[in-house]
Order: sequence, then C-alpha cells, then structure tokens
Amino acid sequence: MLKGFICLLLFQLLGEAAVELTRSPVPGPVAGMLLLLVWLLISGGPSDDLSNTSHSLVQYLSLFFLPAGVGLFFLPEHISAQWPAIGAAMVAGTLLSMLFTGWLVKRLSGKRAASGEG
Amino acid sequence: MLELGRSLLHKPLFGLLLTLAVYQLALLLYERCGKRAFLHPVATSALVIALLLKYWGVPYAHYLQGNKLLELLLGPTTVALAIPLYKEFQHLRQLALPVTLTVIIGGLFATASALAIAWWVGASDQALLALAPKTITTPMAMGVAESLGALTTLTTGAVVFTGVIGVLLSPVVFYVLQLKDPRLQGVVLGLNAHGVGTARSFEMGASAGAFATLTMCLCGSFLSLTLPYLIPLVIH
Repeated sequence: MLKGFICLLLFQLLGEAAVELTRSPVPGPVAGMLLLLVWLLISGGPSDDLSNTSHSLVQYLSLFFLPAGVGLFFLPEHISAQWPAIGAAMVAGTLLSMLFTGWLVKRLSGKRAASGEG
Repeated sequence: MLELGRSLLHKPLFGLLLTLAVYQLALLLYERCGKRAFLHPVATSALVIALLLKYWGVPYAHYLQGNKLLELLLGPTTVALAIPLYKEFQHLRQLALPVTLTVIIGGLFATASALAIAWWVGASDQALLALAPKTITTPMAMGVAESLGALTTLTTGAVVFTGVIGVLLSPVVFYVLQLKDPRLQGVVLGLNAHGVGTARSFEMGASAGAFATLTMCLCGSFLSLTLPYLIPLVIH
C-alpha cells in the first residue's frame, strides 16, 4: 500500500512539474495520470502493490468529491439568488446533452461495429 | 455538557468524522437498494451533511477544515486512474475514433446547450461565465474559470451539481436511448458528469469506469484548451 501510494504521489509531482514547465492549462494530477499511463505502457504494467492501492483509492472517488458537494448548500447570498434559474438550466441542459451524446456515440460506434471493426 | 458538545462540533476532527460516517451510511443504503442512481451516496450524504451543519450552526468553513485530507487525496486518486486506463487499453483503442468524435461534438453541445438555456431564463453574464466550464472536471474547470474571469465558487458548485444531476438522470437517458453497452454508458457519464459520473461508472464495472475516465480526460482537456478562446466571442 505504502509503495503504491509513494509511486502515485511521485507521478503527481512529475505532473505538477510538467504543467509548470509547459504552462499548460491541464491540472497537475491529470498530467501525472498521463505520465503514469505512458510509464505503464513502456514498463509492461503495474506492480500488484500499485494495482491494489489504485483500486482502493478509485473505489472512494465519490467520497473525495463530497466536501465540495456540501458546499453547494452554502453558496454566497448574491449567487444563491440566481441559483433557481441556473439550476433549472443545468438540469435541462444536462438532460439534453446526455440524450444527444448517448445517441451520437451509439450511432458512431454502431457504424464501426457494422463495418466489421467493432 | 452542552459546552463540551459545542466545542467538539467546531473541531476539524468532527467535520471529517461527519463526512465519513454519513457517507458510510449512505453507501449502505445505496448498496442495499441495488445501487439505484437516485440514491447515489454523493447526493444523499451531501444533503444530510448540509442539513446537520445548518441545524447545529456549524459554518461551512469549519466543516471544510477537517475535510482537507479528502480534498488532498483527490490528486493521487486522479493519478491512480491510469491503472484502469492501462488495463482497458485494448478495448479503448477499438473505440478511439467514435469516442474522440463524441467528445468534440458532444463537449461543445453540452456547453452550448446549458449556456443557451441559462441565457434564455435570464441568468446574468457573470453566471453564464461561471457555468461555461460545467462539463469540465473540477480541477481543470477551476483553471478555465480563472482564465475566463468567472467566480470560481460558483463554477465549483456548477460542476459538482452537473455531476450529481448527470448521475441521477442517467437511468432515464439509458432507458430512452436503449443504451445497454457499459462502455458507451461510461462515455456518456464521463462526458456529461465527469468525476461523479466516473465514480458511478466504476461502481457499474471496470470497463464502464475506464471508458468514463478516458472520456472525462479527453473532454476536460479539449474544452480547457478551446473554451478560453471561444467563450469571449459569445459573452462580452
């Protein structure tokens, strides 16, 4: 567990460094994930320890968003006044775009499967 | 006795314990009821924690102090997503083209549709700017909000709210479209509900989770690179 965790933190640090150097808008942890993926493809896969650590962390991904989710109920006054309009727009907008992207990806991948590549 | 209770409520330890205990109960309920999306633990426990904090009169800032640890763990967990991506790499490659096209067209559509509806119901320019990065995963969205000059608190709220709403709506969407392939379900959740959607996808299976991770990363990167140029053309 500890070895795996050290590895993840090291790659996050590498990611932060890469972002600083290239002044990219991509956040450090995401760059770290891409670097780790490249490393895994080169080295031929994760160790059991890294694999287990990753599994235990990813399992609790929802939990790590929870404090920010609670913040939704504590927005500053001038923002919460606009909240009903924004909220309604987001519910409708998200539903619309989920239906659209679902339809799109089904169509695009269906064609691919039909042409014998799926 | 009452004094002791009051002082304990404001300790950072209390905030963390509250999060973990409520989440654990929400998780049990979620699993007991067959992992139904409308009982997703992020949605139910955020509501319960917020109500308890308001009832006890604990300010959000005090609560957040104890939860720094969880926010800190979000970084290494993001890095850890490389492992499921690696394990599903062969499957991901087979659908690379449809997924990439969906991210480009769908990502722009998701942003435009939310902005159009918000504008139509009369949201201010400030609110529109904060809403624009709603389809980008939280850490990336913060960067975009800053470069657009939007309120980052509202952006964080909009992003997390979108994630929760996306998960809650997903069973309806999958039913209407008859979308049964877990890989494609992962794509829809990763694109529209980013982090929370990815977490939900992993709860549905490794394959859905890997596709959600890939889509979330592609969509976040694509929109982070294009929105700072596109949005100023639309909102002045």
